[in-house]
Amino acid sequence: MISFPRAILHLDADAFFASCEQAVNPALRGRPVITGKERGIVSAASYEAKARGVTRGMRLFEVRKICPDAVILPSDYETYSIFSLRMFEILRRFTPDVEEYSIDEAFADLTGLRRFHRASYESIADSIRKTMAAELGFTVSVGVSLTKVLAKIGSKHRKPNGLTIIGSRDIEEHLSQLPVGKIWGIGPNTAAYLAKFGIRTALDFARRPESFADKALSKPYREIWHELNGRSVLPVITEPKQSYQSISKAKTFTPPSTDREFVFAQLAKNLENACIKARRHNLAAQRLSLFLRQQDFRDNGCEIKLDRPTSYPAELFNALHEGFSRLYRPGTPYRQTTVVLADLVAESACQYTLFDDPVRIEKMARLYKAVDSLSARFGKHTVQHCASLPTRQHTQHAGDRGDLSHRRKDLIRGETARRCLGIPIGKIQI
Amino acid sequence: MSRELSPEMLQKRADTITSFSRTAGRMPTFSEIGALLGLRSKNAVAKLVRRLEAHGMLRRDAHGRLVLDRPARSLRLLGSVEAGFPSPAEEELADTLSLDDLLIKNPQASFLLKVSGDSMSGAGILPGDLVIVDRAQNAKNGDIVIAEIDGAWTMKYLKKEGDSVLLVAANARYRPIQPRQELKIAGVITGVVRKYQ
Repeated sequence: MISFPRAILHLDADAFFASCEQAVNPALRGRPVITGKERGIVSAASYEAKARGVTRGMRLFEVRKICPDAVILPSDYETYSIFSLRMFEILRRFTPDVEEYSIDEAFADLTGLRRFHRASYESIADSIRKTMAAELGFTVSVGVSLTKVLAKIGSKHRKPNGLTIIGSRDIEEHLSQLPVGKIWGIGPNTAAYLAKFGIRTALDFARRPESFADKALSKPYREIWHELNGRSVLPVITEPKQSYQSISKAKTFTPPSTDREFVFAQLAKNLENACIKARRHNLAAQRLSLFLRQQDFRDNGCEIKLDRPTSYPAELFNALHEGFSRLYRPGTPYRQTTVVLADLVAESACQYTLFDDPVRIEKMARLYKAVDSLSARFGKHTVQHCASLPTRQHTQHAGDRGDLSHRRKDLIRGETARRCLGIPIGKIQI
Repeated sequence: MSRELSPEMLQKRADTITSFSRTAGRMPTFSEIGALLGLRSKNAVAKLVRRLEAHGMLRRDAHGRLVLDRPARSLRLLGSVEAGFPSPAEEELADTLSLDDLLIKNPQASFLLKVSGDSMSGAGILPGDLVIVDRAQNAKNGDIVIAEIDGAWTMKYLKKEGDSVLLVAANARYRPIQPRQELKIAGVITGVVRKYQ
């Protein structure tokens, strides 16, 4: 048996956002660092904070209770994005086949590169890990195996700064320890379903015969079954993400608001943002979902099927308003609104129906083209809809939650709030 | 009554039009072309532009505006000029290098730091300057480094003599530092940026 018919690597940055903060500010190293101040909940926690019991999504007042010395920072997505790009670039030095899976995760295909690097897959992966630590200033965890699903199990196996190689003969050992719900792509519902067949661990699942996979499971799970058995069926996708299944935009605001106009404005702004993104990718939505989150974190949502695929807010406001009126309860304080555009189709594939008014739609297309070109020149939301104007009444977050990241606070000469240098600025006094 | 221009003359006009972008950073408008070439009507300019386009000497975009073929923002690296012999530097146009490429060797490993102290003023690094720090480079004797020394950060010359390491300022008011416990080098300074306007 060849131990590596394919060699797929999965790379996962350790506590990515918090690590970026520690990388630009070495004074934070070794201290519990938390990002997400503006959201009121933990976005990322450094390993020092995790050791104290801080978890993702925890509310910040709870964090202050269990970890009073935590350094709580507002998110600085620009810096995080720069580090993310650098991570992918470093990976591309080792192999051209890199899939940018998310801001802090990547897959890479190393198959056939042993000769080029004059090294085993293990030592290639090890030098990737070391280069990341040396150049980025924080650690990543790496898994190498025969398939994407197994590689991902590998990178999770030892964290932080871990390196796990799962060759053919190690698969069993790794799967026997792993609950089936921890496999990439298997959620709580599928895990519960598989439990009905007596499947508890990943190994139970992998050992089932193919006839079981064919009969009891749908395609995505059959693929996982194959991948767990060491047969690579999920390709490493090297093109940047072009299409989206759905686009969602959510924004928290503080203090929570009971003001109907204001809450709707927040929702409208999310809709504008989601539509901007859809138009950028030439997509149109067939379904619109909206959610209102109350101060006590309870969610209410509804979903609306649209008459025709669109990415123009003006066409969606009626639906949005109707959904909002159904959800909104006067006097209830809300803290977050979300808009989801779903069932996206390519805009070019949209056809007019008998009842559409092509002239009106063409006019709208021209209008939004103009809006987009103004935004490109003068910044997002240069032109906005009246409905979202109340969001400008005050900053998104009142009080210390409204703190700007240090990158935004100390602009260097020549930078504007909209355009900063694409290079991290260290926070060291010299 | 149309006068046919020779290809050489057309090329000369195309060059005049393109040279406008060298100072302006963009291609000229039709009325600016008129002023450049002494044509009084925009119609005449339009005819000329059409002809130049047909000869492949100019390009226009979907809106009919002239397109600049070379990126306007990268600086030109001209051939070196020897004293006494004004060289036709224009003809020695090498491949261009952006300021980013010039200043940053390892783009994935570099970051900026704002200088607040004056200990390196003798090396031309002043308070308020931005220094480019490269994390990936190994610090050699004589490099300017960012170092953590006994818990505090500093920027100094690195002097290695045998086994001993010394951090030396470029300002007589600061004395050389010898690390007592540990010395961590965060990176090597590869450049300094100072913007006056």
